[in-house]
Amino acid sequence: MAQGWGDGLPLIPPTEQRVQEFLVAGGRFPDELIAVLPPLRAECTVEKIAINAVMAGCTGDAMPLLCAAVEAMADPQFDLAGLNATTGSVVPAVVVNGPIRNRLDIPYQAGCLGGVASPAVAIGRAIRLIMRNVAGQLIGSTSQSVYGTPGRVAGIVFGEWEERSPWAPLAERRGVPGDAVTVYGAMGTANICDVVANSADGFLDMIAKSMAYPGANGFLPSSAFAETLCLISPVWAEVIGKDYPNIEDVQAYIWDKCALPIDWFRPEYRDPIGNLGRIKPDGRVHLVPTPQDVLVMVAGGEGGLHAAMLHSWGTCLTVTRPIAAA
Amino acid sequence: MTTILDPSASLAHDIADPGPDAGDLRGKRVAVRIDMLWRSWDWVSEVWADKLRAAGAEVTFWRSCGRTGEEGVIADREYNALLAQSDLAIVGLGNCGSCTSWTIADALTAAATGMPTIGVATAHFEGLANNLAKRGGRSGLRLHILPYPLDILPKAQVHDIAREHYRSFLRNFGVRSELAQQSAA
Repeated sequence: MAQGWGDGLPLIPPTEQRVQEFLVAGGRFPDELIAVLPPLRAECTVEKIAINAVMAGCTGDAMPLLCAAVEAMADPQFDLAGLNATTGSVVPAVVVNGPIRNRLDIPYQAGCLGGVASPAVAIGRAIRLIMRNVAGQLIGSTSQSVYGTPGRVAGIVFGEWEERSPWAPLAERRGVPGDAVTVYGAMGTANICDVVANSADGFLDMIAKSMAYPGANGFLPSSAFAETLCLISPVWAEVIGKDYPNIEDVQAYIWDKCALPIDWFRPEYRDPIGNLGRIKPDGRVHLVPTPQDVLVMVAGGEGGLHAAMLHSWGTCLTVTRPIAAA
Repeated sequence: MTTILDPSASLAHDIADPGPDAGDLRGKRVAVRIDMLWRSWDWVSEVWADKLRAAGAEVTFWRSCGRTGEEGVIADREYNALLAQSDLAIVGLGNCGSCTSWTIADALTAAATGMPTIGVATAHFEGLANNLAKRGGRSGLRLHILPYPLDILPKAQVHDIAREHYRSFLRNFGVRSELAQQSAA
């Protein structure tokens, strides 16, 4: 803490020996450059990742995932420079697909967004320490986040329950089959609960309409475009998948219902939203411009009743990268 | 002895020099970078543009919108094309976290071409703007700071602020001749 390296929790001292052991386990050369991270615009090498990962309590087998996640966040499409500085409460969510989920024990079942004991906590924390110590994201200095979010301490790292999904894995649908990481600028997580619906349309209606609140990123006149992410629990996914075996149809359904009538907004909002070309001929404004901007995946426990929504931030675009074998 | 390794990284280089003065405005082509967030910056910059034109400058506005995806590629191309055709750059507005980040990034891009450049931010985000300029390798980047909060004020009041700040803005930008003329008047 005195060095400004910490997050408030105890840290494991990154001794030369521990870092060396981590590097050996990770199978990467320490001076390999992974990315240049804003706002500091400093070089993030494999060694810097290893040092921060040791401090967070990570084990070396997480190195390929950490490197892929950092590389994905540094993609200009992700707008890390804006994301790390914003007044918003955004944190990059890290979604893991492929067999590596099980090798690293990344959670994708009950409690996957937080609370379940898992190495994902240390992995998420490592990424947050990298953002702090290498990228230079510091509250009150380079970050203006008004509220922050609990996810800024240990990250949001979870997997997709691919075995219970009626659809192809998220990363595969984005062109990266197998072990892959997808980073998404998440304005926190929020729950969607339904104790009445018992049909695909019923569940999707509740999900879509819950996501359409006027302060959501996608409705902001300052967002020329946006994405959104929803997690469907395996119980709901099974019902939905029977009626909608094609994920594109699920995306289209949610996109269509996830909208607000323009006259529902106060008058001063209408011109700025209209200037973006966001008002459809039927007088509605959709949360995101196209159905493809609705990201859908299966995760969560079998208790049913719930889905989760993760609204996006700014014009941050989701990035997927393969995870190289160690 | 146990050695603890440093988890942090830092920039090795820094340019503390603010860069060239804007100098005489007559005949200069001024690029003004506005955005889609802050109407108050539209109002300030339109007041300043009128005065810059009155001093003999040619003013071109460019509005920053989406900076990722295809739209971002187009935006970068447009912005760089504008800079290539300009002599001076005024870049704003830093009035939130991400918009300050983009304001400073665009100001650093302009300054890197060697042209006189000034970034504009509001008082609450002055520290962030300075930090980002420093961390971007150019701690000397010229900045003009407007009051905060600004965007919730009515247009007439923002116009008054723009007029009140014009002279100090010129001073920060290194427009000596215009200041001298105003002093003489």
